[in-house]
Amino acid sequence: MSEIKLNLSINGKNIKRSTKSHYRLLDFLREDLDLTGTKEGCGAGECGTCSVFVNGKLIKSCLMPVAKVNGSKIETVESLGTPDKMSEVQKAFCLTGASQCGFCIPGMVMAATSTLRNNPKSSLEEIKEEMGGNICRCTGYQKIFEAVEIARDVINKKQNKNVFDKYYKPENSFIGANVKRIDAPSKVTGNLKYAADMKMQNMLHMQVLRSDRPHAKIKKIDLSKALKLKGVVTAVTSDDVPGIDNFGVFVEDQPVLAKNKVRYVGEAIVAVAAESVEIAKEALSKIKIIYEDLPCLFKSEEALKNKILIHEDYKTNVVKHIPIRKGNIDEGFAKADVIIEDDFSTQPVDHAYLEPMAGISYVDQDGVLTIVSPSQNITHHRHMMAKIMNLPIHKVRFIMSPVGGGFGGKEDMIYQGMLALLAMKTRLPIKYVMSREEDIVSTAKRHPTKTHYKMGLLNNGKITAVEIKTLSDGGAYGCSTEGVMRKAAILGAGPYHIENLKMDTIGVYTNNTPSGAFRSFGALQTEFATESMMDLASEKLNLDPFEIRRVNAFKKGDLTHTKQKLNSASINNVLDELEKLCKWDKGSSNHRGEERKDLNSSDNRESCTLGARLETNRSRVSK
Amino acid sequence: MSLTKKRGRGMAAAWYGIARTAAMDQAGAWAEIDDGGTAKIVTGVTEIGEGILTVLAQVAAEELGVKPENVMIGENDTSRSPEAAHAGATRQTYMIGNAVALACRQAKNKLFAQIAKEWNVDIQTLKAHDGEIWSEGTNYRIPMSEAIKICKKKYGVVPVGGENYTSHHTGLHPEDGSGKPWQAYVFGGQVAEVEVDTATGEVQLLGIWACHDVGRAINPKGVEGQVEGGVVQAVGQALMENFELDNGKTSSGNLAKYILPTSLDVPKVKTKIVEDPDPLSPLGAKGIGEPAMVPTAPAIMNAIYDAVGVRIKSLPATPEKILSALREKQRKSLNKSLN
Ligand code: FES
Ligand code: FES
Repeated sequence: MSEIKLNLSINGKNIKRSTKSHYRLLDFLREDLDLTGTKEGCGAGECGTCSVFVNGKLIKSCLMPVAKVNGSKIETVESLGTPDKMSEVQKAFCLTGASQCGFCIPGMVMAATSTLRNNPKSSLEEIKEEMGGNICRCTGYQKIFEAVEIARDVINKKQNKNVFDKYYKPENSFIGANVKRIDAPSKVTGNLKYAADMKMQNMLHMQVLRSDRPHAKIKKIDLSKALKLKGVVTAVTSDDVPGIDNFGVFVEDQPVLAKNKVRYVGEAIVAVAAESVEIAKEALSKIKIIYEDLPCLFKSEEALKNKILIHEDYKTNVVKHIPIRKGNIDEGFAKADVIIEDDFSTQPVDHAYLEPMAGISYVDQDGVLTIVSPSQNITHHRHMMAKIMNLPIHKVRFIMSPVGGGFGGKEDMIYQGMLALLAMKTRLPIKYVMSREEDIVSTAKRHPTKTHYKMGLLNNGKITAVEIKTLSDGGAYGCSTEGVMRKAAILGAGPYHIENLKMDTIGVYTNNTPSGAFRSFGALQTEFATESMMDLASEKLNLDPFEIRRVNAFKKGDLTHTKQKLNSASINNVLDELEKLCKWDKGSSNHRGEERKDLNSSDNRESCTLGARLETNRSRVSK
Repeated sequence: MSLTKKRGRGMAAAWYGIARTAAMDQAGAWAEIDDGGTAKIVTGVTEIGEGILTVLAQVAAEELGVKPENVMIGENDTSRSPEAAHAGATRQTYMIGNAVALACRQAKNKLFAQIAKEWNVDIQTLKAHDGEIWSEGTNYRIPMSEAIKICKKKYGVVPVGGENYTSHHTGLHPEDGSGKPWQAYVFGGQVAEVEVDTATGEVQLLGIWACHDVGRAINPKGVEGQVEGGVVQAVGQALMENFELDNGKTSSGNLAKYILPTSLDVPKVKTKIVEDPDPLSPLGAKGIGEPAMVPTAPAIMNAIYDAVGVRIKSLPATPEKILSALREKQRKSLNKSLN
């Protein structure tokens, strides 16, 4: 691989050295200089986690070939401050709690610094626009904006800098206090090491060959050419798994690497270990797979017919069906003054945590297989791994690396098994970092759903009966489908006392990308349908939406949909407080937007003008 | 405001269960009051960004009488820390928070027993807060750093504790679903204000008013952060995100094609915390991570209806869907007026 000689200034130091000529500035900073505060969230200019200054200008280092910055002056987040000597922007981020998982935060701090350097008097709207190229999946941005405004005011001496040292604390208690996050200084300075930022001696790099077919038999895997490549150490397939080869959060039905057949596009088939990422990638291109395509199943309604089976040892495509029965719905509907019936659907969405999946595995001095990864459930992963690797449980050790956002997406053990196989086989540390594209194609999504809903009510708004049927596409593997169906069923009919209820949630296998755990776990989908129905009912019965909910809301002592007696129910209190908080203008939900009296309060943000939007779009395109 | 831009409001309520669903849930923790009046907490906790480490530091500080910045929390390592299970199901504050509180109480009792001996006072009179320990009704008052020295050097006791917290849940009946899936529930509600452009179909979410019961807010700013972040994830679900598949292949395979909410898409969020403490657990705190985003999407859809009279029942409410629903509505009202 060709090299290039560089002579540039990095964080005030002159650096003369050669590097790989195909490197991006991001690779040079992270790989050669170990400046890992600059992160790679997407590698395509879309997220801003890789932001640095080149000659004082904020740029995305994932789009910048290192050759192009030769002779330039580069500043990274490491130059702005350290945990014991932070910049105003960094201190302000700590104060407002602007860092959650922290993965976007070094980039955000760079963008905020750039905003205030360019215009120390930036208004809130300007701050938002300037930072529009940086994505945060955790915070909702509000505390980030707050922080930038505080930093701005301190810099302009409009606010005393001792604001940074204060936080609210009730007398004699730390409960209820806004104690500043103890992990914030490490996050705002880029000091915290995520899995992708770690290195070990003699470490090898893993890359994974994935299926481009949704459903196919694997007739043959030919590794011979790949293994001959210089720098390739070894490769593993499903044949290398020593133990019981399956994992899953609820149903254990997924092999570490595709076994005999593939069930979705993106499924792992071969994992290669090589001396560099580049060599491992080249090896993938030399692997030959012979497939025999199978008929595919993409629609959940079709899956119910069981004509095509996704898992042969499973005689139906239904992963889980959860029924809830309470009272008698026929009687309930007979009593109703009105009956409303409708259909709802929700789409699959990606977790889009900003830290793509990554991990390191090694076998320690005592022969303990060790996996370091940003997993949300190392307790369960250890159990499954011991079974898969056929090791006693104390010979498997999981260490949690800082999690750069999870939202349920990092509960599935989808790559740790491959890391384990290669570490055991080579007895060398193995590192794996997914690209954003690989992460999106291979990881589980939120369950898409279709719901049919029927609700009977009295004229006073009291619900007499509810019937709900929700069909969810679980995709190719079970993952969390069982649990999601359960939560969707238990909570779906909402916080209302309903005497007569029939609820069914069904999750099925298809050849789509698996669906899994995602923040709000099925309840988001079914409660969306219920809350839409409540609004329809509000309009139909000419009742205020708060009122119709109060008529039905749970009270202490009520039986839930699963017939559990509630020992407390704060819903009425919540509704009262909410109505006050937003100064709600009473009235039914009958499209009265024009005549409402509660609109346009200063609690809103400003509406964006079309021009401002176009500006950002343009800057997005031209980067 | 341009003539094509219409505003409206909608609301939605929600509820959620805390910790693992329809199965026993358990978490363990170890605590030690350490030299210098500091504390060491070891538990299998997973900080995924929600701020659980800070919550645990506050709980430990409160229970032990030390300063939160003097609490160290050990790494989550299956070979080095007690099991506390996963980061999910809105369970960590509830499960691990209570386990840490119980472990700290044990450690503190050990320290207090020695100090009561030292001062010859009733152990019940001892109190500790913010790095100091004192005996009520007396003049005895020393820094925790002094107390731990006495405890170890004079009495030979390392004040440690190890405890477990259990949340008692039962499975669901296979036919009628009856059961006790959780012991603690939370409730919430949100109001959304939108501006819909009838010319482009574009929806701007301008404000969210969010009210959530969290049991007891250990760190109110952290709770707000969860609500704000949850709301914005739901904005993605409600208005723009879509992992599209065609014959099993995605056309949303990178962040250029998979559109996420940016700083220009997010509403101002006003949060009001309601505290209905859980009667069954020592801390009374419940949780907020997941419930924060449940009411947002329906509140937005209801607000869109309020603004322009079209009801989007299939997420996300893209400009195309809104425009076609508006056209349909126009066609219907035209037909009506013709008939
Ligand atoms: S990694 Fe450079 S913009 Fe995402
Ligand atoms: S804190 Fe911004 S992505 Fe997690």
